[in-house]
Amino acid sequence: MSDTQWQIFEVFHQQVRGEPHVYVGSVHAPDPEAALILAKEQYGRRQASVSLWVVPEDAITATSYEDVDMFDHGTDKSYRESFGYETTKRIKSIVADRTESRGEA
Amino acid sequence: MSTGTTFSAAGDIQGEERSALIDLLYRLGDDDLMIGHRNSEWTGLAPILEADIAFSSMAQDEIGRALSYYRMLHALGEPDPDTIAFTRAAAAYRCASLASLDRSDWAFSTVRQYFYDVATTRRLALMADSSYTPLSQFVRKVGGEQKYHMMHSRMWVVRLGKGTDESRLLMQQAVEKAYPHALGMFEATEWDAVIAGSGIGPCEADVEASWVEEVAEHLSASGLAVPTNVEPTYGGRCGRHPEELGCLLEEMQKVYKLEPSAPW
Amino acid sequence: MVRVSPTRGGQPGLRGDKPGDPGYEENLAAFESRVSRGDKVEPGDWMPDAYRQQLIRLIHVHANSEICGALPEGGWIPNAPSLKRKLALIAKVQDEVGHAQLLYRAAETLGKSREEMIEELISGKAKYSNVFHYHAETWADVATISWLIDAGAIVNQTMMAEGSYGPYARALKRICYEEAFHLTHGYDMCITLATGTKLQHDMLQDAVNRWWKPIMMFHGPGDKVSRHTDLLMRWRVKMKTNDEQRQQFLKQYMPKIYQLGLTVPDEWEMRFDEVEGVWRYREPDWDEFLHVVRGNGPASALRLRTRKMAHEDGAWVRRALQSAAGQSAVGESVAGAG
Ligand SMILES: [Fe+2]
Ligand SMILES: [Fe+2]
Repeated sequence: MSDTQWQIFEVFHQQVRGEPHVYVGSVHAPDPEAALILAKEQYGRRQASVSLWVVPEDAITATSYEDVDMFDHGTDKSYRESFGYETTKRIKSIVADRTESRGEA
Repeated sequence: MSTGTTFSAAGDIQGEERSALIDLLYRLGDDDLMIGHRNSEWTGLAPILEADIAFSSMAQDEIGRALSYYRMLHALGEPDPDTIAFTRAAAAYRCASLASLDRSDWAFSTVRQYFYDVATTRRLALMADSSYTPLSQFVRKVGGEQKYHMMHSRMWVVRLGKGTDESRLLMQQAVEKAYPHALGMFEATEWDAVIAGSGIGPCEADVEASWVEEVAEHLSASGLAVPTNVEPTYGGRCGRHPEELGCLLEEMQKVYKLEPSAPW
Repeated sequence: MVRVSPTRGGQPGLRGDKPGDPGYEENLAAFESRVSRGDKVEPGDWMPDAYRQQLIRLIHVHANSEICGALPEGGWIPNAPSLKRKLALIAKVQDEVGHAQLLYRAAETLGKSREEMIEELISGKAKYSNVFHYHAETWADVATISWLIDAGAIVNQTMMAEGSYGPYARALKRICYEEAFHLTHGYDMCITLATGTKLQHDMLQDAVNRWWKPIMMFHGPGDKVSRHTDLLMRWRVKMKTNDEQRQQFLKQYMPKIYQLGLTVPDEWEMRFDEVEGVWRYREPDWDEFLHVVRGNGPASALRLRTRKMAHEDGAWVRRALQSAAGQSAVGESVAGAG
């Protein structure tokens, strides 16, 4: 190869402590440390920042969009969600029953 | 050796301390303006896009600092920042020759920037407790920005010093060329003793000593030889400049001078 | 599950992505229905080869335009007439270099390397925007470019940011944000010149006069001349025709130009048609446009020479860092700051 544009690093940026690092783009850089130094100006020169990560592009393993259907839910999974339960409705009816039976007594 | 007096605003500083402060601020501002100008000549032309972007930020930081120093000067009764920057004759500038030399190649520009960054870092550290409050406040504000400058320029020196035979050679040539001009940054002016004595800033010999030590260490670690028995290139601090400054000023003042009294 | 880098597309032309290939019609139908739903296309997805090639070409030209666009204005950084203008201009040109970086990357996800794209630019094989084939002759040109050319670019880029290709659309969101600063910075410069001394005002009028032709051509050949727009619209590579973009630009900016006491050259016969609500003008000479973007504009040779020199002068630096990358000792020595 006659020339080089170095390797590609993916850049993740954190705006404030406590927030997640968010993917913002890539830099061409010769090594991780240079990648951080160069990414700082391309991705941190305007946004507030507290932290940057760089990851070699080929270190990322990803699912394929062709397999997007594997994220589908084949059966009812509401049992693991709070919306799958009717506690409020149930407790209301219990309280209502009690009031009713007290009234009778 | 500081007298312990604090000057909290422009109105509080008088006499020879005021003159010394003005001398210091012109040196700081002019250095930053000229090296910023030279660095900005790389914008759009650097060896790779990522490096281009980072180097433009160096230029902006430096010109931004020049503006801040010129504002301090204006508060001390000197002309407004643009008048200071754009109207003086070459002999009235107080920048070291290191700052005004042509940008040359990437080796020279990165070596110069490294030499300048080490000097700036040392100088800022020694001015963080300046007895002139506007200066100490400013210095503390740019500390973080300067930390990044150091990482950036150390990175270039070591990467290119340890890169290929070709890059090491170019870097070594750049070191030889820039070193005497770098020592010229520490040319003491007639106000040196007053600046140190009143606690406004460091004496130049102190900045130079710590500069020499740090630079020697990093050059060696980068596989580069440290120049010895170098005769410093003095003159910038008293207005004697290389020809390059004249050309730079002609370019810089070209548009401004079309209508010197109008806003642009 | 497949191991793929999420930002790298498949090798072009390997997956039945051309008409006549087995499965092409079914894949195309699924692709088109996704796009018409407003879904984004991502690098690893199946896409018609024609879509891939169109996007590579488009993003490549766009990236080239950003890096070449840094040249006419960058050349004026040393002459900027105040410290604030100097700072803003460096920041503006820096952004343009940054845009090139983002866009080359977006194109890379389609399978073409940045190296190859830059080689094609400096060899004259790949094109860049017509406007950067002209010289920036005075400081007022810088103001005019930054205001009106960036305004034209914003019309184009906000539209393209809604396009179907994910990486391009994402890059454009960030770019549009920065362009807003360019526009304001340019407008501010133009206001200063227009309301300044006679010399300043005349300088600006002269710049607008010289730039009006390239500006009128900026959005590309008129709809009567321009081909293959239908397919690009269906695939959401493009959402508005060239003429629609030009109209949008004129509607927004002609009043602002007049408001500053400026005019555009009479020969364009610009007038607002109140009935139709559109600007009428003399159709640009599209043969001249093509001649210019093929590298025959007044500044074309200079632009390529400058880019080529910058690229070649930087070759030793790129090589050195490629080699230094293998050395583990390097890292420690940077981190230990003094
Ligand atoms: Fe741009
Ligand atoms: Fe722009």
